[in-house]
Amino acid sequence: MARVYNWQIGRDMSYWYPESRPKRQFAAVFDINKCIACQTCTLACKTTWTSGKGQEYMLWNNVESKPYGCYPLAWDSKLLSMLGTQKWKGNAYDGRTIFEAAPAGKRVLGWRPDDLDYANPNVGEDDCTGVRIEQGASIQVPHLTWFFYLARICNHCTYPACLASCPRGSIYKRPEDGIVLIDQGRCRGYRECIQACPYKKTFFNPMTGTSEKCIACYPKFENGLQQQCFANCIGKIRMSGYISKPEDAKPENPIDYLVHIKKVALPLLPQLGLEPNVYYIPPLHSPPGFLQQMFGPRAEEALRVYRSAADDPDLSGLISLFGCTERVMPRWKRQDQTVAAFEENGDEIVRVPLREPIYIRKAYDEKYKIARVNCP
Amino acid sequence: MRMTIQYVLISLAVALLSSSGCHKAEPPAPSQSVQVVAAAELPNDPADNAWQKVPEFEAKLLLQDLVEPRLMKASTEMVRVRALSNGSEVAFRLEWNAPSPNDMPGAAIFPDACAIQLPSRIEPSVPAPQMGEPGRPVEITYWRATWQATVNGRGDTIRDIYPNAAVDHYPFEAASLKKGSTAQLEMAARYAPARTLGNNMAGPRKTPVQDLIAEGPGTISPASNSESRGCGKRTPEGWAVVLIRRLPAGLTPTMPTQVAMAVWRGAEEEAGPRKMRTGWVPLTLEAKHE
Repeated sequence: MARVYNWQIGRDMSYWYPESRPKRQFAAVFDINKCIACQTCTLACKTTWTSGKGQEYMLWNNVESKPYGCYPLAWDSKLLSMLGTQKWKGNAYDGRTIFEAAPAGKRVLGWRPDDLDYANPNVGEDDCTGVRIEQGASIQVPHLTWFFYLARICNHCTYPACLASCPRGSIYKRPEDGIVLIDQGRCRGYRECIQACPYKKTFFNPMTGTSEKCIACYPKFENGLQQQCFANCIGKIRMSGYISKPEDAKPENPIDYLVHIKKVALPLLPQLGLEPNVYYIPPLHSPPGFLQQMFGPRAEEALRVYRSAADDPDLSGLISLFGCTERVMPRWKRQDQTVAAFEENGDEIVRVPLREPIYIRKAYDEKYKIARVNCP
Repeated sequence: MRMTIQYVLISLAVALLSSSGCHKAEPPAPSQSVQVVAAAELPNDPADNAWQKVPEFEAKLLLQDLVEPRLMKASTEMVRVRALSNGSEVAFRLEWNAPSPNDMPGAAIFPDACAIQLPSRIEPSVPAPQMGEPGRPVEITYWRATWQATVNGRGDTIRDIYPNAAVDHYPFEAASLKKGSTAQLEMAARYAPARTLGNNMAGPRKTPVQDLIAEGPGTISPASNSESRGCGKRTPEGWAVVLIRRLPAGLTPTMPTQVAMAVWRGAEEEAGPRKMRTGWVPLTLEAKHE
């Protein structure tokens, strides 16, 4: 085990390999508050990458309802239970990561889902109990009245547990963009990665005998385009790009601005120690304790910043850029009442107003003598 | 020294008694090494009677607990090994107990498997028993129960694993694509990257056996020319598997070598380094019958 620095937990930690950061790191920000769980992202991924034989059950991208939804079943709660109660001291993690908690004989603390754990994504997870539900619910647990949708892809972690666990070195992190890939020519299907990945985003293909995972649509990303699940997002909740180390954060880089400067977007389960590179703007109206467990001790602070966006034209402007172009937006800038994205060379990609103009139409169209409706 | 002489005398006496009873067609006494017996033909069938005349070596299996990920809980206790050679090939018959046999593929299902390992070069000394060492490779012949089932005729689709599985659509089987056309094959290849890259884990499968080479833990890779063959069959207690490979160059009656075996129990989720294995076991080649 080597000692590496993980800025998300504010300390050094143990990892199987020495620290070796890529030249650039793929990263993304998801605004949970805008997700409507339409699953368009899921289908965009599914039709693009996992429509083959042996991939039937795979969802490289999935959207689940929290707190009870999970794909595969109990992916988060099971590992958190295995890890046990851990503590943060301020913004520094004082507990054990899954690398530091690895039992004898293993490189990572983990578990492997059963076949049936993948079998029923989303089934019943939106049901609720209590008043006004006359027909009852399929989940027989005390369902809370709050919930939110959590869209998930591979986090292309800085310290991937899948990569650490593979005894063959079949998993690698690309030095040019930090995307984590399974070498399909080398993998022998031992499934250590499936056991190790806490987010359960590696999948075994029983027809090819190898494990497969989200590839961050690298053929698109290499050409300056955002991933399929980003480009097809109806709710415009996503933005992908590159993230810098905190000390190198650049305000003109939209990912850096949201993660490092405004600190409004947070990693998923940072306490596990992987330094995941998908960042979430936490959901409003959810219990702080739950959000802290899921996103770390900065969750409330992030929500405070998010709530202030209405009075912060830069932040609200940048959030307005989400989903406005398929191109990766290396830079951004607000200019008066518009916000624009730019290529590295300064070419403008897209420009949007801070606030969309409001048009009010009468309910009845006098010209065509017909009542208007608001849906197509 | 006196004790050793006594053991030798007792062993000789036992051997003489055993040989005097050969006409009763009882199986040969357990061997102290894997003895490769000369034979005109090598039976591919583990149930072939020819195997009953070959001395059996009982190899005690050890936990693979030297490199991570380690196997922490012992499973299969021993593997029984017999060997025949026709002068150009050598056939090994491995038999072991597997109370819950597993030959199904699946996301969380692990197959039963076995392997033999020989040094790539026959020399007075052998490389490290754990998959060889840098510059001193080992050759591994690997059999897997799932591949055997496929070779035996089981289909290779999701419905062969889950009979009630519902699949809406495979893009490469769209009605608009002529089956076998270049466009159809190209699209099918896109959705099976391991197969497209020639990973021999991915099939299509014609043999249940793979030839592999390794120069230490984590280095196993396909041999440049996979020509071994084999066959596995269920026994009342587990599996019997025949592995037939090229006779190592330099292996002669006067230049013995060592062999190692490994067994994976699917029911215990054993795969890759998580296995039961032997150390090196002496392997002697019987002089060819005239």
